[in-house]
Parts: sequence; structure tokens; C-alpha cells
Amino acid sequence: MPDFPTQRQTQGHTERQTERQSQSALPFGNVGRDAAALAAAHLLQHQALPAEPGVWDELRTPAGGLRPGWQSFARHLQAAHGVAVGADMNRRVAQVAQQIRLDGVTHNVFSEGGVASRPWSLELLPMIIQPTDWAAIETGVVQRAELLQAMLVDLYGQGPNSQRLLHDGLLPPALLWRHPGWLRPMRAVVPPGGRHLYIVAFDLARGPDGRWWVVSQRTQGPSGLGYVLHNRLVISRQFPDAFRDLRVQHIASSYRRLLDTLEQAAAQVAGSDTPRVVLLTPGPYSETYFEHAYLARYLGLPLVEGGDLTVRGERLFLKTVDGLEPVHGLLRRLDDDWCDPLELRPDSALGVPGLLQAARAGSVVMANALGSAFLESPAIQGFLPAIARRLTGQELQLPALPTWWCGEAAARQDVAGKLDGKFLRSTFPRDGRTSQVHEAAQADIAGDPDAWTVQGRLRFSRTPIWNEGALLPRPAMVRVYAIADAAGRWHVVPGGMTRVAQREDSSVSMQRGGSSLDTWVLTDGPVDTFSMLPPRLSVDDIASRRGPVSSRTAESLFWLGRYTERSEHLVRLARATLMLVNTDNGTTPAILQALSSLAVRSGLVPVGVPTLAQAPHLFERAVLAGLAAETGAHSVAYNLAALEHSGQVLRERLSSEQWGLIRAVREVFTQALATPVGSLPTLAQVLPALDRVALKLAAITGTQTDRMTRDHGWRLLAVGRLLERLIGLSGTLQAFIDAGALHSAAGIDLVLELFDSVITYRARYQRHEDLLALTDMLVLDSTNPRALTGVLRRLRNEVAKLPGGDEATQPLLAELPAIGAGLSLESLRNADDAHIAAALRQLTGTLAETAARLAEGISARYFTLSQGLDQRV
Amino acid sequence: MNSTDAAVRQISITHDTGYGYASPVSLAHHLAHLQPLHDAHQQVQHFDIDIEPRPAQRRDSTDALGNAQCHFSLAHPHRRLSVRATSLVQVQARFEALDASRSPAWDSVARSLQYVACSPLQPELEYALPSPYVPRLAELRGYAAPLFPPGRPLAQAALALMQCMHQDFRYESESTDIDTPLAQAFAQRSGVCQDFAHLMAGALRMLGLPARYVSGYLLTQPAEGQAPMLGADASHAWVQVWCPGTAGVPVEGPGAGWLDLDPTNNLVPASSHVRVAVGRDFGDVTPLRGVIRGGGRHTLHVAVTTSDTGLPALPIAAA
Repeated sequence: MPDFPTQRQTQGHTERQTERQSQSALPFGNVGRDAAALAAAHLLQHQALPAEPGVWDELRTPAGGLRPGWQSFARHLQAAHGVAVGADMNRRVAQVAQQIRLDGVTHNVFSEGGVASRPWSLELLPMIIQPTDWAAIETGVVQRAELLQAMLVDLYGQGPNSQRLLHDGLLPPALLWRHPGWLRPMRAVVPPGGRHLYIVAFDLARGPDGRWWVVSQRTQGPSGLGYVLHNRLVISRQFPDAFRDLRVQHIASSYRRLLDTLEQAAAQVAGSDTPRVVLLTPGPYSETYFEHAYLARYLGLPLVEGGDLTVRGERLFLKTVDGLEPVHGLLRRLDDDWCDPLELRPDSALGVPGLLQAARAGSVVMANALGSAFLESPAIQGFLPAIARRLTGQELQLPALPTWWCGEAAARQDVAGKLDGKFLRSTFPRDGRTSQVHEAAQADIAGDPDAWTVQGRLRFSRTPIWNEGALLPRPAMVRVYAIADAAGRWHVVPGGMTRVAQREDSSVSMQRGGSSLDTWVLTDGPVDTFSMLPPRLSVDDIASRRGPVSSRTAESLFWLGRYTERSEHLVRLARATLMLVNTDNGTTPAILQALSSLAVRSGLVPVGVPTLAQAPHLFERAVLAGLAAETGAHSVAYNLAALEHSGQVLRERLSSEQWGLIRAVREVFTQALATPVGSLPTLAQVLPALDRVALKLAAITGTQTDRMTRDHGWRLLAVGRLLERLIGLSGTLQAFIDAGALHSAAGIDLVLELFDSVITYRARYQRHEDLLALTDMLVLDSTNPRALTGVLRRLRNEVAKLPGGDEATQPLLAELPAIGAGLSLESLRNADDAHIAAALRQLTGTLAETAARLAEGISARYFTLSQGLDQRV
Repeated sequence: MNSTDAAVRQISITHDTGYGYASPVSLAHHLAHLQPLHDAHQQVQHFDIDIEPRPAQRRDSTDALGNAQCHFSLAHPHRRLSVRATSLVQVQARFEALDASRSPAWDSVARSLQYVACSPLQPELEYALPSPYVPRLAELRGYAAPLFPPGRPLAQAALALMQCMHQDFRYESESTDIDTPLAQAFAQRSGVCQDFAHLMAGALRMLGLPARYVSGYLLTQPAEGQAPMLGADASHAWVQVWCPGTAGVPVEGPGAGWLDLDPTNNLVPASSHVRVAVGRDFGDVTPLRGVIRGGGRHTLHVAVTTSDTGLPALPIAAA
């Protein structure tokens, strides 16, 4: 570390650490435990590859001993009896990966091919930060957060004393006026409470001198707080003893504080309304959508997209199944310039037209307020020390990377010809991304000096990661978060998101395939064991926490129900069809006709394929070909894909179990049916795959019926499912009646199978092949969940409970038969088979129309607010 | 180059915008910049916006650049929208005494805008920077450079640039739309008045000089014996270049130091040009825009009629 003058400090550290290390070697109690701990310490100390010379090693002192945090950590790294430490670590890595898969933690990565959803990458070993280091970080970060807030007050303020930074030449005006993040429409707008910033993130790295340096700062909805939470959950479980004994600071109260601050600020603008705060996300294609959903659920905030919100009369509303509900606070993860297509980026389809008017009217609190994005420019860093002196009279305690903005002639001359060992970055965002690193050779600095900023290169400290049996040193950067409380004081979340580069020499970024670490901030004091569950809720709390259901969510849930049911129906039909082709057990032409028409009608085979009776094997091939085609509008694969899509946009409402099942069912099916190009899956592949899919779908149904809160959203899911069942069952019955396929035992068996009612029928009627008995079983028996009467009874129940009261539900209920299915057992007294068949034909025809009208009615009543597209004119 | 224009006129303007939608629009938010500027050289004697159907909400305010703006929204389904802005404006010629040779050297003005630590703020710098519709374009620097030798008086060089553009570029209605990139308009050497204004502002900015985009109107009836001017039946656009300390350019008030130039018509605007709003480019001062929900395909109809009322000019308070 020849470049840095703090060598002595570092040496001092070394001595202290050697001392502590000898203390830790003292035997404590259990000899077996001690031996294991020694093995772990030995592994960490001696088997870790050395960090390159001249950088700070987070694991070891220059003398080679473990640093204090790692000494304590090593004491707990003991494997189960008889398992080597290395093997134990490998096992834990696998467990971490498994947990991430189970919880569906993803990170969307953009490439030329589009968006790919990757599993989140989390390392087993944490980043450990000592109390003294943290104290310095905390003070420095609070100071910088205060400074940024003060800058925004000065720059967006109005009146003779505003914009002192520009008037006094402390901040080059070009950094404001040329930056797309400087929002002219927000000039002179004082956000509620005068507070522009609620959350600020700083990327910090430790230099060779042992000090922490600011690498960059994020003010527009900084990402990571959700991942931080999940990382903590996973890693603290892996090392519960170490987590406790090292006195790692808990982070839950910071999230509580964020929520409190937002709710209090929202209450200020809500007047007599119940304050409502929502989390605004760009949507499922955003890079960090997982954490938006995760955070929303953890904080108990509705997760909304721009299309869920609307501005009326300068106030913001959420479009819900109950109508428009006022919104007073936005925890915003949508970047500034996408927020309002009327006054900001006109091509944004993600924002809320008119949002700026609501912001100017002061009717909504935004965390953070619009207009801070220019603070993210690297060029700003160079001017902050002087600005801090002017605005706060203080020297900045955390150093930042040395920065030269080339728009200032003096700075440009300073670095001219001396770019080696420095970064060249764009001052302003390019191609929609925040400042990027450029090759000096490719940049025409002289042609447009304002656009370029030079920053000194910092050699980041190295922290160990466990990689297939080896401990490797990796450059690390820690993102820490400052959160404002209601009084405007800043608090630093005692933790953060540490990211490491994939290779020793590459840069640190999750987009470029980096990985993350849980960040353990140790304390000398007591650990705050606050849990996010509030101690005791009042009646009002409970009433207001029953969240609204947005129209879009409701529509997705409705379709989730429909796709689940439709997939089950199709799988059952596909299975029956394929089995039938390959048995000739009593099959009649009428049965073949019924199945053929059913298969065409439900999309299992394309229109025009010769029927089962005409060409059974051609038909079979058509079924096999159709199963896996995701493009066919009704194939099994298409429905499973649609199911997953509905699930994707509902992430914050689905348990990780249900979401896992939804993804698994599609994966299982796709994998099982994989064939070389040009060939069809075989029956031996398909039948077991259909069975597995049927099982998984049953499990999904289970989670939907048993594990979801029965709010308005769930009700729409249930209605969707029942509606789809009504369509599937009446269609099936109709096809069999029309084909005259219910005169044989085989036909009755088959229709019972498709109604999933074989067992009940056999229990009640043994082997009677009787049309009246069948009608009772499939139509009239309200205790059979698959009889039409049963389906309609439940449909009436659920529709009656939909939101909007009688005014909304009565017209919908009027579409359904008032009682039963519209056919009574009594009316069939003395009827012969022909009469019964005629009655069933009429009934099924009526019900098909009923279902279509009900679906339309529900859509018109509950989903219209979310329908239609914005366009600019 | 100066038109022989009346010193003072009273001009009446009717600006109609009509939207027709194939299917109902359920919610519309609009933003209008239709009210002419009111200052020492131009008085708005009457202004009114008539919106049909009646908006659910309307707010008039001043934007960050000092222009009047009007936000309005409609929350009831509608299939058409018509907005009529009527103005009665008294305009005085501002640059009759212009002497372009008595103007500071262009390069000294550009230099004075460069950032030096702790130097006082020059607010006009904002208009020397690229903006969304006027990004930096190296070709424009090359185009203008021969007209800007070191030390040449700024106003003189700017007039030469205007003349040069008027010769090299063809005015062709519908040869571009508002989303045609600047580079394309430059390459095809043709465009409408917005393109002329954007291109000229872009060239000046590439040299480090502040230039503003002016949205406005042009009197339809030409002065006797003169050819009708281009861009008269719709909104017009031209530029202002910052020429501080130039003889004949106002030194006080909101427009102080700015010299108007109309590259489409190759003239210095006098009393036939009505200024509505000034900004960095079209995007800051679009006469009427909106974001609507639904609507399907839409038609847009714009008509502007201007006339000289011929009324004797009212006495004007000294600026």
C-alpha cells in the first residue's frame, strides 16, 4: 500500500489482532468443539488464497492472523460430528442455493435477447464489519444524507436565497441543467414537510488505507433493501450461533422506521382520510422486481404499477375493485423520468399521467421526491466538500473517490494525459443507464468536456467467498442505506448489501454477474431484537391494514383461477384421449366422436384433424404435437405458460410455496416433453408427465383453496375457477350427449372420469349404467363438488360476496339459475333416456351462454378501471 | 433583412385544436402553452381558452421558464376534444435600431459562460446546453464554424447563420414530424419551422452560445406588396440568440439581451411575430399535448388564423 499515508494505522491494527488471536486459542470447555473450531480457524487462516499485495484483506491481518470478527466466526464453523469443515461448507452452499430457488429470489438480467430471470446469487460467508468501522461509516453516511437533502432544498427552492450553490459558483450549473434528472417542472415545489429524501444509498468500499470510501450514491429509489432482508434471512439461519455470539445488529427496526416515517408523512397530507402508502414498481420486467414484491409484502404495502394508479383533480388514486381509493404516499421504485408521461419522458408507459400535478399540489408524499436523479452523477462528488462547508459548515468525514469534472478547465488540465489508473465515466446518463465507465481512448473529451468525468481508481478490499472447496478473496463493495425518521433525522440501516466481483480483477456489479453477501455489522452494545411484527394492533390498524385489491390484481387472480382449472381440465382430457387410442376396451364410435369434438373444442388438437374414429393414430400424433406447443391458443403448454404469467404479476400475493409450484408445473412439463427437433414426444414420456402435472395442479389448487386470505381478490380467483369449471363440465357433458356416447358402460366410465367422479358414482350406484343416475351424479347432486348444481351453488355464494354490494352483485347473480342447475330430479320422473338426453342438451347449452355472460359482466364491473392503454396525443 | 414592418400592431389570433377519437377516451390529461407572453414589448389585451367538453379540472400557472401554462383533465368518456385559444395582442417591433456590427465578439461571450469555480451564475447558460429535441450534433458545429471566425460580432455572425440556413434548407411542410431527429432534418436539408429553429439553436449551442426556441404566431396577411410568409397558418417557431450589449437589443426586462431571428423567413421579427412561449426546444413549450386512456386511432386538426385588427395602437407604457 505504498500510495497511502496511513500505513502506521494499519500496523497498529495488526498488533492488536495478534493479541486477540492468542486469546481465542485458549481452550474452552468441550475438547471436541474446540478441535473443530481449530480446524475451521485453520482453514480460514491458512487455506484462504491470499489477497493480492497492497489491498486490504478483510479476513486476515498483514501478519497473517485472522481479524477479530473472523476469529469469532471460526469458533462457530463447526460441522456435525465427523464431517470435515470443507464438506460442511459445500453442503451449506447447496442449502443456500436451494432456499433461493424455493423462495423464487430472482434478478432480471437484460441482454440483447431480452430479459432473463436469474436466480439471485448469494455467497455463504458474510461480510463482517467491526463496531469501530461501522461507527465511522454511520457518522459519515448520515452527514452525507443530510447534505444531499440540504442541496435539494437549496436547488429546488424559490426566492432570493435559493440556488445559492449556483449563484456562488459552488456547483456548475451544467451539472443540473444538462442532466435529465433535473426536473424543471418541480422547481419551487416544496414537497410535503420540506423533505425531498427519505432513503439514500451509498456504495462504499474499503481502500488499502483501511478507510471506507464513497464510490457512488443513489437517490432515486435505491435498490437492494429487499435483497438485504432476504440475504439476512438465509445466511443467519446457516450460522445461528455465530450470528448471536458475534452480536450482529438486527435490521428489522430500520424497516419499521421507514414504514413509520412514510405513514406519518402520508397522514400529514391525508387530512381526514385513512393514510394509504403503496409501493410503486415498474413491473415484472424490472431488474429487481423480486425485491419490490418481497419488500411490499414485508412492509405490508400494496405493490402497484403505474397503471394501477390514476390522478383525478390533482389527487392520486388506486384503482380497486371497490372503485377509486385515495393514495397519499408512494414508496417509489420507478425512476423519476418514467413517472409522468405528460410532463416527463413522453414514451413512458410505466408512469401515472398527471402525477406531477398531484406532486405540485402537495397531495402525495413520495419517497423519494421527484428530481434528485442528478445527484447520482459522478461529477457531483468533486464539488461536495466545498458544498458541505458552505451548507453545513462541516468537513465530510467519509472520503469519496477523487473526481475531476472535465467541464471545468482547471480540472481538465489536471488530468490531461494522466488517465492511467483512473476511470473515465460519463457525467450524464447514457442510453437510459446511469453513468458508465468508458475507455479513455474512445471518448472525445475535448469535443464535449462537460460530458466526461474522471475518477481515481480505488483498490477495493478483499473479502473471502467459499467456492467449491476453496476460499477466494474477492473485491467487495457495500451498499449502505440511510433512512430518515419522521423528525428528519437520519439513521443508517446496520447492514447492507455487499457485492463482490465474480473474478478477482473485474468490477463489482450484479448486472455483470457479480454476487451478493449478507453484511454483518457487529456491535459492542446490546443487540436490538425488534421484530417487524408490531406489538399490538388497534381495531383501526386492523381495519386499515385490510388492503385494497387493485383492479389489475383482481383480474390477474381471476385468470389465475381460470388457468388453473382449465389446465386441470385439459390434462384430464389429454390423458383420457391418449389412453383411449391405445386400448380397445369397449370403445364405441359414439365415444370416439364425443372425445374428438371435445378435443377440438378445448384446443387439444387443431380444427380439421380427422377424428379418432377416422384416423386414431393421426389423431394421437396431433394430440402429442399440440401438448408442448406454447403458441397454440389452448394447448396444455400454453395454459401452463399463461398460469405462470398470471402468477408472475401476482408475486406479492402468492406464498412462495404456491409460486414455486406454479413454476415447477411448467418446468416439469416442458422438461418431460423435451424432444429433438422434428420428433414427437412418446406416449411413455407423455403419460407420466401428465400424471405429474395433474398432481402439481392439485397441489396448486390446494394452496389456492386453503392458504390464501379470502379477500375480494381471492373471491375473484374462486369465481374464475368455478366459472371455468362450469364451462369445462357443461361442455364435456354436451359433447357426450350430442354424440350419443352415454349408452355404453365405457362412455359412462369416461364421462365420470372427466368429471373426476368415478369413485363417488361407483360407491353409490355400483355398476349401474343408468342415465338418470348419471344425471343425478353429474348435474343434480349439490354435494358433489363437480356436479353442475354444486358448481353453481358455490358460484352463487362467491358472486354474492364480491365487492360493491347488491348493486354490483345482483345483476351478476341474475345471470345464474336461481336454484340448482335449472333442472330438477322431479321433472325427470318417468322420463325416458331420450327425454333425459334432450333435457341435458338444453341445460348444457344454456349454461355455456350463462358462463360467457357472467364472465363479461364481471369484467365490465371489476376490471374496466385497469383496462385500456395510455397514448399520447 | 429587416422587414419593413409596422412599429406597432394589434393582432387577433384564434388557435383551434380538435381531436377526434375512434373509441371513447375515459381519462385525459392535457397541458397547454397557448397564452402569449406579456411583457414590455407585447401586451396581451385579451386571452381565453375554451375547452369542449368542459374539463373536470383546470389549473393555470407559470412554468419554470416563465411561460403561462394550463393543465386540464377530462374524466368523462369523450370521443372528441376541441380547444380554442383566442388572443388579442399588441406587439411592438423591438429591433428597429439593431446594429449587428456593434455586438460583442461571439467567442468572448462563449468563453464567459464556461464554468470557473466560485464565479457568479450566468442564467443564460441553460440555453447553451443540449436539450431533448436539440442534442449535440458535431455536423452543426462544422456547418456554422466558417461564419464564426474569432472576434466576429455575435449578432452579425448570427444573422449570417440565419441567412445561410435560409439558403441551404428548404421549407417543406410535412417533410418532417416532431419526432424526426435533428440529425435527419440536417441531413435532408429540409424541414418545417420547428426544424429550422431547432437546427439554428443547435448550431449556436455547439459554439457555446445560448439560443432559445420561441413558439408563436405569424400574422397571416402580408404587409402590402410583400409575399406571404411561411408558417403563417399554424403555430410558428423561431429562435432567440443571446446578444448581450448589442446595439438595438433590449437591455432590460424579461427578454433583455435576446435577439429574435426567424430562420424560416430569414428575417428579424418585428411586429408581425407574436411570442407565445420560450424554452429550450419544442418539448418545453408544446402548444397542446395530452396523455389519454383509450381512444384508439385519433385524428388531429389544427387551425390558426391571425389578423391585424387595424385598430390604432393603444399608447404603451414605457418599458
